[in-house]
Amino acid sequence: MVKPKELSYGSALAELEEIVGGMESEAVDVDALAERVARASFLIRFCKERLKGAEDEVKKIVLEIG
Amino acid sequence: MTLLELNSLVKAAVSGALPDLYWVIAEIAELKLNQKGHCYMDLVEKEDNRTIAQMKATVWAYEYRTLSRKFETSAKTPLKQGIKALLQVAVNFHEVYGLSLNIKDIDPAYTVGETELRKKEIVERLRKEGIIDLNRGISLPLVPQRIAIISSPTAAGYGDFTEHLEKNPYGYKFYHTIFPALMQGEDSEKSVLAAFDAIEKQKDNFDVAALIRGGGSAADLGCFDNYAIAARIARFSLPVITGIGHEKDDTISDIVAHTKMKTPTAVAEFLISGVGGFAERISALEGSVGLYAARLLSDSSNVLNLLTRRFTLLAAHVFTVPQGRLDELGNRLSAGLKQFFQIKTGRLAAAEQAVRLLDPAKVLERGYSITRYKGKALKDSSIVPNGAIIITELYKGRLGSIVSGQGGTDGKTEGA
Repeated sequence: MVKPKELSYGSALAELEEIVGGMESEAVDVDALAERVARASFLIRFCKERLKGAEDEVKKIVLEIG
Repeated sequence: MTLLELNSLVKAAVSGALPDLYWVIAEIAELKLNQKGHCYMDLVEKEDNRTIAQMKATVWAYEYRTLSRKFETSAKTPLKQGIKALLQVAVNFHEVYGLSLNIKDIDPAYTVGETELRKKEIVERLRKEGIIDLNRGISLPLVPQRIAIISSPTAAGYGDFTEHLEKNPYGYKFYHTIFPALMQGEDSEKSVLAAFDAIEKQKDNFDVAALIRGGGSAADLGCFDNYAIAARIARFSLPVITGIGHEKDDTISDIVAHTKMKTPTAVAEFLISGVGGFAERISALEGSVGLYAARLLSDSSNVLNLLTRRFTLLAAHVFTVPQGRLDELGNRLSAGLKQFFQIKTGRLAAAEQAVRLLDPAKVLERGYSITRYKGKALKDSSIVPNGAIIITELYKGRLGSIVSGQGGTDGKTEGA
């Protein structure tokens, strides 16, 4: 798990693109799928909340997940 | 002869010898207005930075108002120290104040040409030094959300800019900090450079710098055609966006800036669209995650089958789960899939729902179980020999069992 501090828009975007790329090209095991969707959801929420300046909300999510 | 008598002779000689009005090219070395509105200048001519001629000059208050306004409108700069001008003068000698020029008219066209020439020289210098394109070479940040503003905090342009940012219709949050600077007048160079230095010291806290003109005199753009400021912008480590708010040709600051917008409001729009571009990429990826997840889940040869097979085995060997409950599981997954497809309104919620449905703990809670042999989840009964000990994990607790036979997927048990 990437530490909250290290998570940036750039790293979140890169990771999301990697996840989507993986889902597009690989046969994904169900457990891996759930994990990836969960991670993708987290990254999307991270970006969206941060764009709207909801830093506290982001921190909460990070605590939940991390 | 008294001094007054001598001075009277000088006065007569001067007005006799120089009776006309003369057009003179001179640099304004100093300019002061007194309380009555009279304007006093020191005019100089320089050669290689050395003064080779100097003379006092005056513009009387009632003429100064007209002249200065006419000049400023055409030349796009006020009459001020440092500019070169073409002046129509009368030569006067006063018994007390001595020799001086009385300015009757000023031709702005000369100063315009002079200013253009100096601008060209500065641009050429920046080009020769190889720095003119430096700032433009910096990549714009992925999300330009933290803005360092150089402006005058009391100015209308600054207010327009921050208001436009804050009231963006998408609800994006912008973090902006003003680094106050004088945008015109003698001290503007020092002041703007100091603001850039202050930003540089904490550049990690910002994504871009916005140079926003503070309003005030609509004509005085001198500070933006300044070499030192232009060079600072060019070498600045963050992209500099200008919003100087003028209609005429670009200033040198505009030329070296990363991006030049016409007005402070346009700079705000530019930044909002930058953040919007990122938000759209995220939304597109969100859609892709939902679609691919749905496709993978709905692929009959994939997940559902896998789960069904897994649970069928468990059902056959460990528990007697009614077929109806498997159908129920299938239905729930289908419901999850449907939600996946409702991506218009709640892609994210749907994804989370699917994740919840797939969570092994939730599946166990519904009465299913996982059987392990040698620590690995069992998917195939044929690999387990008779007499082997298998561990079944339930929602609460575990069971150990000894295998007494294997079966195919039809549910019939072979052997004992």
